[in-house]
Amino acid sequence: MQLQSRPQAIAIAAALVAALTPSSLAAQPQPTRPEGPRLLAIQGARVVTVSGATLEGATVVIDDGIIVAVGAGVSPPPGAWIVDGTGRTVYPGLFDAFTTLGHGRAGGVAPTRWSSDQEHNRHSWGPEDRPGTTPWLSGAESIDAGDDRFERWREAGFTTVVSAPHAGLVPGRASVLNLGSFERPREMVVAASVAMRVNLRDSSRVYRGFPGSAMGVFAYLKQLYYDAAHYHSAWADYDADPLGKRRPEWDRALEPIRTQLVEGWPALFPASSRSDIGRALATTGEMGVRPIIYGAQEAYAGAELLADAGVAALVDLDWPKPPKDDDPERRPTLAELRRYDRAPTTPAALAEAGVPFAFYTGGLSGPGEALAAVRRAVAQGLSEEIAVEALTLAPAEIFGVADQLGSIEEGKIANLVVTSGGLLDEDSRIEIVVVDGELFEEEEEDGGAEDGEEEADSSAVGDLDDGAGADEAEGDAEEAADPDSDAPPVPMSANTGPYRDDPVTLIRGATVLIASHGTLADTDILLRDGIIVEIGGGLSAPSDAVVVEAAGKYVTPGIVDAHSHLAALSINEGTLNNSAMVTIEDVLRPEDIGLYRALAGGVTTINILHGSANPIGGGNSVIKLRWGADADDLRIGARKGIKFALGENTTRDRDPDRYPATRMGVQDVIRQSFLDARAYMEEWEAFEEGDRRGVSPRRDLRLEAMAEILRGERWVHAHCYRADEILQLLRLAEEFGFRIRTLQHVLEGYRIADEIAAHGAGGSTFSDWWAYKIEAYEAIPHNAALMAERGVLVSINSDSGEEIRHLNQEAAKAIRWGGMGEEEALRLVTLNPAKQFGIDDRVGSIEIGKDADLVVWEGHPLSVYAKTLRTYVDGKLYFDIEMDRERQAAIEAEKAALIEKHMGERP
Amino acid sequence: MTGVRIALAVALVGAAAATPVAAQSYAITGGTIHTLAGDPFVGTVVIRAGEIAAVGADVEVPADAQIVDATGQHVYPGMFDAASRLGLTEVGAVSVTNDHREQGAYKPHLQAATAIHPASEHIPVARANGITHTLTVPQGGRVPGQASLVVLDGWTIEEMAIDLGAAMAISYPSRRGGFGRGGGGGEGGWKAAEKRYRETVAELDEWLEAARRYDAAAAAGTTVERDLKAEAMARVARGEMPVLLAANGERDIRSAVEWASRQNLRFVIAGGREAWRIADWLAEAGVDVVLSPTQSLPSGPDEPYDEAYANPGKLHAAGVRIAFATFGSSDSRTLPYEAAQAVPYGLPRDAAIAAVTRNAAEMLGFGARLGTIEAGRIANLMITDGDPLEIRTQVTGLFILGREASLDNKHERLYERYRARPPAGGTDR
Repeated sequence: MQLQSRPQAIAIAAALVAALTPSSLAAQPQPTRPEGPRLLAIQGARVVTVSGATLEGATVVIDDGIIVAVGAGVSPPPGAWIVDGTGRTVYPGLFDAFTTLGHGRAGGVAPTRWSSDQEHNRHSWGPEDRPGTTPWLSGAESIDAGDDRFERWREAGFTTVVSAPHAGLVPGRASVLNLGSFERPREMVVAASVAMRVNLRDSSRVYRGFPGSAMGVFAYLKQLYYDAAHYHSAWADYDADPLGKRRPEWDRALEPIRTQLVEGWPALFPASSRSDIGRALATTGEMGVRPIIYGAQEAYAGAELLADAGVAALVDLDWPKPPKDDDPERRPTLAELRRYDRAPTTPAALAEAGVPFAFYTGGLSGPGEALAAVRRAVAQGLSEEIAVEALTLAPAEIFGVADQLGSIEEGKIANLVVTSGGLLDEDSRIEIVVVDGELFEEEEEDGGAEDGEEEADSSAVGDLDDGAGADEAEGDAEEAADPDSDAPPVPMSANTGPYRDDPVTLIRGATVLIASHGTLADTDILLRDGIIVEIGGGLSAPSDAVVVEAAGKYVTPGIVDAHSHLAALSINEGTLNNSAMVTIEDVLRPEDIGLYRALAGGVTTINILHGSANPIGGGNSVIKLRWGADADDLRIGARKGIKFALGENTTRDRDPDRYPATRMGVQDVIRQSFLDARAYMEEWEAFEEGDRRGVSPRRDLRLEAMAEILRGERWVHAHCYRADEILQLLRLAEEFGFRIRTLQHVLEGYRIADEIAAHGAGGSTFSDWWAYKIEAYEAIPHNAALMAERGVLVSINSDSGEEIRHLNQEAAKAIRWGGMGEEEALRLVTLNPAKQFGIDDRVGSIEIGKDADLVVWEGHPLSVYAKTLRTYVDGKLYFDIEMDRERQAAIEAEKAALIEKHMGERP
Repeated sequence: MTGVRIALAVALVGAAAATPVAAQSYAITGGTIHTLAGDPFVGTVVIRAGEIAAVGADVEVPADAQIVDATGQHVYPGMFDAASRLGLTEVGAVSVTNDHREQGAYKPHLQAATAIHPASEHIPVARANGITHTLTVPQGGRVPGQASLVVLDGWTIEEMAIDLGAAMAISYPSRRGGFGRGGGGGEGGWKAAEKRYRETVAELDEWLEAARRYDAAAAAGTTVERDLKAEAMARVARGEMPVLLAANGERDIRSAVEWASRQNLRFVIAGGREAWRIADWLAEAGVDVVLSPTQSLPSGPDEPYDEAYANPGKLHAAGVRIAFATFGSSDSRTLPYEAAQAVPYGLPRDAAIAAVTRNAAEMLGFGARLGTIEAGRIANLMITDGDPLEIRTQVTGLFILGREASLDNKHERLYERYRARPPAGGTDR
């Protein structure tokens, strides 16, 4: 199909037009259009108004680009151009809710790169450098009239698009454009600023450095918007009364965001899965803006989150499909297969939940594929009516232009699409498109028509990473041999959650290693509502109890891992020597299959730490392994913490050079950071204790985290190896009047165990790793036992998605090397780490009133042959070796069915 | 350049077998002897001239033998880490202390033993946990070089040597890598991956073919320029030197076996992560597998959590001969735990012990010299106070090449030294 752009029914006056064109370059512009009446009527058509009833045999009258009359009884005004609508259907023009049209064409250069006043490939050393932040750009500015996508979109029935720049993290403002006359871009603009686009990944690589991880991006976005709010109050204060005040600094990046906050434009925020949506809602809440979610293909699982928050979604119509040129023997994951299967069910799920949503062409290879993609959603239960709305009125409402666009109503802009049949009918053709009252009519196909294929501009939209390896691209991963390595997180799992959730469970007749006070033979444990309520011999089973016969089995408290990197989208924000503003809390990934594997090793609580790439890392998160619950429901409520790191990982060569390169510098960074924090605290104190008039100091997330350490509200968990660096850190903490809560790895702790004990730091070490780097060359497997002997509170941790699965064995190594007693060894992975994180009132031992986090073992848990049979978290059965077999069979069966359905044509 | 007539003096490449130095005789008495060649019994092992001279319940103790009282203890063959980097790597992150990875793709003439550092701190650490010998394997490239079978005691590599060219390491090409996350197609697509794979196999074939021609020319007396690589590959082509053929994925293992069989090679699969998927097929084909660490994560998110734990048991049940290996150096001492991890997931305990002692020796053609406690075997033995695979078990005695080997190591020395540190003073905080 080919449509030709012409003025109103210009064929009638073709000769006149021919006489007027072409004009030479230097000539004064001459009119190229006839100056006839700007009246048009489509007569006798079926009119789908979308906002109201569908009218049969109706007429739509357009005057100067505006719909002036709609109805069955309406007569065309004298002198109007008449279009015969008999047998045709008139719809509001289609609205592509999210594009980069006019900007960043496929294969072209990102729009921000055109802008001469933006330094590119610049290194960002913090939020103040405003990395990848160009909110002054907008879809309405610098429109590339030569972008051939405009015409192709209009040929496909689109009269309106939302267009936004795409490069960087805050690329610019989204604008609503009508696809009328591209030679006059100013006439295309319906609204210049309807939303601020946000990306969670800088796919165009417009900056280097901070933020270099998913959690860095979240921290940056928060800081940016705090800064903009502060900027606003500083200027408001100054403008109200400038006399005697120092003028605030003008900031190009903050100006448009200030306007956004004042005028209340939403943020276009990428999110697809349920946990993405949770993160998006939390982050935009901090930013003080209302989000519109884009991407949204897996929102079938998070629709009610959106509904509860009253947040709209833009759904990418490029449904996931199996890759081309794929390995015929590749075993696709269930998560991948479910994406193929369920993504097209998202629109129906959103409709069902009452979430406003609109479609966008997204990664489709051309706009001509849009209607077929919508038909797939209809086949999955979406009503045709809502589907049409999602292409017309819904986006207009979402972007606040519904008083101008989206339906066929008197007074609205005359954007229409006229089809030969129903819009979503497979054999229906688009025959006429009207934009701003201007008519574009289909020309007869001449056989050689382009099919509108182009390479998808995949970088343009929906570029929230799907989770796997969000930080992969960054160069701050540690050595492969390093247990701190920033390996990409294990893939997500498709099915999560406990096997059973019984309110009352009685475990009967087990040998119970309670960890705190010895071992009880032939003992029963009663769990009720997630709590251990009774321990003893011969307990009678309440009538509502599920009884688990455990004679001959062993029961221990759930294992607590003091150092893990599971269940996080990213681990290191290594771009700065102090990244205290970031936190693992922002990037939890509860669906991580690593959690299930850990449960299968008896683990019930883990401390997820930032990596060790920099002296001051970021916030940690202590979670229960409530696999698959929402992020907010994972946390156990431990005191906030932060990762520090000393030694090789922090001083290693980096490009560009990042201070420090020596242990001297590491100490300096930490000391200076605390001095800065003190100054920050004083500044705030002065403000809060003063008259509180004027502008508050700037809120700085990094300094706030540092100040929390000094106030004792945030604990330091410090990665360290060598005795000398450990001692230096202890003394530095003492200088600032706080205690290091835990020393992590602390492989040479045995050399200064007395000093560690005197300081009061806990030590969390490996069982027997050594020699993977020079600072680990003096590590000994007796470290845990020797530190404990000298009075240090010691735990053994995994720092590994594999090692975490047999921490019971790792604890036994303290018996083998160092001669530790059995119960004390068990405490290394239960009660001691619980104490280190201040959660021993809840977990770590089997005591009445504590959380029902228990493991049933076959074989003594300190034996290398011990096998986890069952793992309970809060009394819920999260792992069961028998049910695991059923789960496995169910996964295989579902995969086989989905492969047949979606990849059936594989060779 | 003058061509030299190559002699088929392959023995030169193989280096001399270990020469027992110890003349000392020992009689280990009173312990439970697990010969790995029959049922355990309480008895005596007599060691003489580096070898086991006699073993039995009622063996006479020679008059000159030093008595080692093992009453209440257990005597096992020393453990064999069937693929390690012991001696080649000291500190992982310090590249100059790593000699396991030479440049280039085809290095069949290089030998691990050339770079094995007899004074490496890792050797006594592994030894103290009962590892008495290992196959030290070079890595990197398609043909990383020759693996050396050494004992973990000796002042020089010559004293450590059992067979310095015991096996050729070959990394079988994988077709994987075609699919990246998010989509196939383009350069990373399947067709490209398959093409690369075929080219690599053709390259390997060419190396073997060239070696065979070199061999044939030499046998016919033709003057050819001496080619160290061809000489080394010729030993492989003749089936004289076994190949440690690295492959992990199901398809890779299958293709590797088919290729090696087509080439008439003696080989053992190394890695075998997904071998359980084709256990019966491997058993049928009589293929042995040296397994990568049992304590490994599953190969994908949907694979059973215990995929790697259950792999050895499934292979054993199907009749595949397996051996355990750490493929590492600092973690070589964890070899018994890698074996033990498979036991609760289906591998019989006796089979697990065989897989760290006897099996690898047999696979590599050393079954008559190593791996069991039988007369005539090299006297590599360990004495323990319990199950040798159990973490809490202590190794109480060790014999390597018939000599009593020290259980001391860097870790024990540091432990003793710092345990003796007087209480810290002067920091009254």
